[in-house]
Amino acid sequence: MAISRDTLTAVAFAVDGRRIGQAEQHDTLAERNLRFKPGDVLAVKVRRSEVPAGSDIYQAFEVPYQKWMRVLDALNWIAENAAADLAFRWFCGSKMCGTCAVRMNGREVLACWEAVEPDMIIEPLRNLPVIRDLVVDRTRYEEKVASLEPWIERREPYGAFPEPLTHKQMKDASKALDCISCMCCYSACPVIGLGNLTDFAGPAPLVQLGQTALDPRNSPEKVRRSLEQSGIFNCVSCYKCEEVCPASIPIVSRIIEPLKAKAAQLVPEMAINSFALREVVASRGRVDPTELVLRVQGLRSLRNPRRIWRLLTRGKINPIRTLLRLKTAAAAAASHLLRDGTGKS
Amino acid sequence: MRVVTTDVAVIGGGAAGCYAALNLSKRGLKPLIICKGLVGKSGASLFAGNLVISGRALGNSEENARNTAEFLIKYHNQFLIDQSWAQRCGQFIEKVYYPELEEAGLYFRRDDSGEMVTSPGKIRSIAANIQGNSGVPFMDLRRKQIIKAGIARMEETVATALLRNSDGSVGGIFCLNYLTGEYMVVLARAVILATGYSDRLHIRSTGTREMSGDGIAMAWRAGATLLNMEMQWWHTNDLAHPPSWQRMQIYPNPMLGSEKSARILNSAGKEFFNQQKDDPLAFGPYTVQLKALVKQVRAGKARYEGGYYAGFDNCDPAEVETYTTYAKTFHQLGLPFPATMAETAVSSHYRQGGIDVDTNTMRSSIPGLYAAGGVGGHSNGLIGLATYDGRVVAEGVVQDIANLKAPSVSQSAIDAECLRLDHLRSSFGDGSTPAKLKEKLRTVMWEKAGVEKNASDLRSALDDIEQIRADLLPGMKISNTGKSVNYEWLDAIDLVNMIDVCELVIHSSLERKESRGPFIRQDFPLTDNDNWLAANILKKSGNGLRFEKRPYGLPLFAPGFSTKDNLEVAW
Repeated sequence: MAISRDTLTAVAFAVDGRRIGQAEQHDTLAERNLRFKPGDVLAVKVRRSEVPAGSDIYQAFEVPYQKWMRVLDALNWIAENAAADLAFRWFCGSKMCGTCAVRMNGREVLACWEAVEPDMIIEPLRNLPVIRDLVVDRTRYEEKVASLEPWIERREPYGAFPEPLTHKQMKDASKALDCISCMCCYSACPVIGLGNLTDFAGPAPLVQLGQTALDPRNSPEKVRRSLEQSGIFNCVSCYKCEEVCPASIPIVSRIIEPLKAKAAQLVPEMAINSFALREVVASRGRVDPTELVLRVQGLRSLRNPRRIWRLLTRGKINPIRTLLRLKTAAAAAASHLLRDGTGKS
Repeated sequence: MRVVTTDVAVIGGGAAGCYAALNLSKRGLKPLIICKGLVGKSGASLFAGNLVISGRALGNSEENARNTAEFLIKYHNQFLIDQSWAQRCGQFIEKVYYPELEEAGLYFRRDDSGEMVTSPGKIRSIAANIQGNSGVPFMDLRRKQIIKAGIARMEETVATALLRNSDGSVGGIFCLNYLTGEYMVVLARAVILATGYSDRLHIRSTGTREMSGDGIAMAWRAGATLLNMEMQWWHTNDLAHPPSWQRMQIYPNPMLGSEKSARILNSAGKEFFNQQKDDPLAFGPYTVQLKALVKQVRAGKARYEGGYYAGFDNCDPAEVETYTTYAKTFHQLGLPFPATMAETAVSSHYRQGGIDVDTNTMRSSIPGLYAAGGVGGHSNGLIGLATYDGRVVAEGVVQDIANLKAPSVSQSAIDAECLRLDHLRSSFGDGSTPAKLKEKLRTVMWEKAGVEKNASDLRSALDDIEQIRADLLPGMKISNTGKSVNYEWLDAIDLVNMIDVCELVIHSSLERKESRGPFIRQDFPLTDNDNWLAANILKKSGNGLRFEKRPYGLPLFAPGFSTKDNLEVAW
């Protein structure tokens, strides 16, 4: 039954988006679970919301390691033995309820799921108001999800159980259905971090929407209405959400990108930037910022001469080059790919 | 103090509570859900791994249909069940439950060609999206249906007492929103308790954090009749480490799309349970596993706390990973899969018993108070059964509502509850914290009222619990005096309920003088159908409690023997 450390480090390690860099640093899950001995002491700092004047907002604890210890076990140990008043939310302890997410050493983790580290700084999630210590107010997320109305409306009345449906048709929706709405992605999202500057719904609400919007049983009319509320084109595809998702949902590639494609089809006016960018690249073989700005903003872009001047002097736009449209090999290739090839513009 | 008036207060946001609220709302009544956790994100419903096909649904044969009913009555309930309720429930699952869930959008897992993926065996099951995680999309759908129907909900709000009308009927509840620290009174013509099966009364339990026997304790204090409180079910193969994973199960059920599934080895590496060989009805072999484990423990080859191992080393890993989540634990620990067998331990799981109800209406013994799902004492758990109860209770309330009085709860009862909670929040003794006392109580339950029980240990447990109640509770120490998100305060409130419920469990365990399924008495090893094929009914009386027996009818299935060594009985 005993498994030696050598056997474990020899286990083939699959690199995916979430694990990039970890293999190179020998930071495998096997390593992370086996680097402690019972009796080792972890140095844990927890961000508190109320502290007596003069004391550090990060309260330090020394926590004895227990076999296969999770971050949640460390928090429970602290609450039982060192700081009875520490507030943190959890219900199931087995990656199903999605309520115990925190930031550990700057990274969003599900406390019940993540292995402890020798030195840990534990903080509440970002982008949601803190109620106390590690407990955040989920209302903002809940309201957004409700406004997207993530349920299906059928065009045809339901027949009988089981209805005709294949897993192929449900492939992307099925990934979205793994979501436990833990808010890790919502906390990691830099666009949500911009606050009210955009109307972006955020990754977690979009995954919730994807459960029904990517379901072939849903009516396109219903999907269109939901997508209109989503601000989806504010997503910058940075993959932070995908990187932190404890349920390993490919949030950008399998949920947000397919939703963007649906939005482009059902609500084309939302996708004006994407269409313009594609058109510019197809015709020029490169991104031409001047044309991009003109296509997206039209004559409105001329209303701000100071900004035009700034862009000109800093070399961000070059109207002469824009006017002299050169026929380059890149342009021909781009045109072939984007217009004549697989994806018709 | 906020006072909210509604037609029906539903306490609990799991399968039974949500479905009751949806049905009440459809029937034109105004329900309000009060949930100690988050609706659809706390409680046992979330853990539904797969969904049993009952009756003739999905190409089930007559034989499959019969097996499913037999399984529910024998292996799930050891005959302590109203068999006609079970029959009605099976029909509901076949005719209403699956079509309704699918119409609402629940995705039952297909293969690429569109065939529904089922598990093999004498009883078949399917999964919502993926086996092992069915409860997540299932309850997520319920949450969204509640939102869509505009049903009001109060979350992270604990109901602390049932409020009675002047005639003794239940007319409302007192509750505390523990995020804000605000007290609230909900006045209602009917109160439905739907607080679930799995309370965390033992040091290892499968229940979610907030489950502390509140429903049972409140009903008991209000004078409701209970039954079969001793009939505790156990998980035999949850991970032994770490502590927070005591509910992380090496699922023993047949697997979707595979002929194989998990097995268990003793400390010497010898197999003592293999689902394909040792599970007579090939579904949910919990009690079968437990009995096999008891024999290993008695032979010194396993302990209830660990020292035995479970896993899928006999399976094709690709098969396990296609339709189930069962490999996730191994991967997360960096353990080679499926070669590793993980150390496992026992966790207390569902309680078969609970509040005594009329299974046609879910009325309790107190007018205005209803119980649905796991907190009721009429069946052990499956998410389909809890859902069916949600429908029955809604119909029961609709039927009664005209005759139920407008609430007339007394201000003095409300004041008394305020005072009780304020007092708990100002526990400034120099003793243990509420969390430590909870742990102490759970340890007593684990050591003296665990898998194997006997009269002397049970009596000693009663003494220990009395000491916690009389000596330790008054000296309890709470460091946080604040009202907002004060989990210490919540622990103190929980503790009072847990003490009451633990005592009732132990008294009931002493009363049932036999062994039956997962209820194992060392001093009464026989299953005694002559005397104990009966509900062990617990009633509050002037000076404490008294027991009564009520035999069960056997219209469909009967055990076919009088007495037999429980460990040799298949179920």
